[in-house]
Amino acid sequence: MVRLLTHNLLACHAKDCNTNNFPLQFKDVQLEIREADFNPEFLKGFMPKIDWKALVDTARQLGDTSLPLEQPEMVDDEFLKNLHHILLEIHVEEGSMTCPNCGHVYPISNGIPNMLLAEHEIG
Amino acid sequence: MPPRALEVAKVEGRPETYEDQNVHAVYDEIAAHFSSTRYKPWPIIAKFISSLTTGWVGLDSGTGNGKYLPLPLDRPGGIWTIGLDRSRNLLEIARTAGSFSASREVVWGNVLDNPWRPGIFDYAISIATIHHLATHERRRLAVKRLIQSISPSHGRALIYVWAIEQDELSKRKVVSDNETPSFTGKDVIVPWVLSKNLQVPSNNSSDKNGEPQVYHRYYHMFAQGELSRLVIEAAEELGLQLEHKRRDEGQNVRGVEIVQDGWERSNYYVELRLWQT
Ligand SMILES: [Zn+2]
Repeated sequence: MVRLLTHNLLACHAKDCNTNNFPLQFKDVQLEIREADFNPEFLKGFMPKIDWKALVDTARQLGDTSLPLEQPEMVDDEFLKNLHHILLEIHVEEGSMTCPNCGHVYPISNGIPNMLLAEHEIG
Repeated sequence: MPPRALEVAKVEGRPETYEDQNVHAVYDEIAAHFSSTRYKPWPIIAKFISSLTTGWVGLDSGTGNGKYLPLPLDRPGGIWTIGLDRSRNLLEIARTAGSFSASREVVWGNVLDNPWRPGIFDYAISIATIHHLATHERRRLAVKRLIQSISPSHGRALIYVWAIEQDELSKRKVVSDNETPSFTGKDVIVPWVLSKNLQVPSNNSSDKNGEPQVYHRYYHMFAQGELSRLVIEAAEELGLQLEHKRRDEGQNVRGVEIVQDGWERSNYYVELRLWQT
């Protein structure tokens, strides 16, 4: 699966690609929305690790504008439900992710991203 | 049936190619049957996962059929473990591990790569994976990648590998009784006899005789102390201190503490924790 939870952790790892290699840019995606159990304690614990700008920009590209541009210090239930939906209920089933730095394309098929590199691309 | 002695493996040619042929291709073939035999979590691993803090995210590097992805069962969704594996067919099984209505996060990748923001995970596990890498250097690199994937200040990791020393219930025998004990482990071939009802009909001559299809997997069986030495070598290469965090350390000192190091039912395991001042 590529949900935005995972997408927020992934980075390009092609040879010599160490800066500006995150977030990978979705392209030609097919989305599926599937309900997931709401766990506010998980979300609160995970929030400090989120690269917020990457998450907001990516969610907007996928058509969801519910997140504020800055990560709020005080969180309410409505905010956590929006965050939950964006991180865990939007599934990218098909498409690809392109590195903003080197342009490497990582395909996504049947919900599984292919992060393998050809031998000459490994650092 | 007495334990059978395992055939010795000779790693020849490029290790990448050798692993492709003797590990990855085999798991893609046997994925469904292999998965049906791997459903019970090992107690030490289940306990480790239960001890993780709610809100943490982790990497299961070499997730196989994803049997650890749903844990802990008493705190569903409290932590998220992301599974990575080299076998695409195993990942198809892992993506719904635990329940067909569930969906897990899985990534097709190599345990020797690091397709992640550095140090972004709170924990990582590597279960029955590193023993499929064909050289000492590649096994050390896999440990380095695991350490690099977790937080330098609080990251925790658990590594499990098969041991030369198998318990008496095991069907396998790695060394014969008159063989001198090795400190560097032993490369062996472990057969996988594919269940007949999962066999794909083919023109393979062995099918015609009604013989089951047998696949051969490469394993490096670890000697006593070998896994902890591997962790120490990896930590040294990364410039990490190898002791407990001390109060008198200066600024920006980074280290790794080996929390436990043991043998459980034919496996060696090491649990480690990173620290930073
Ligand atoms: Zn790149």
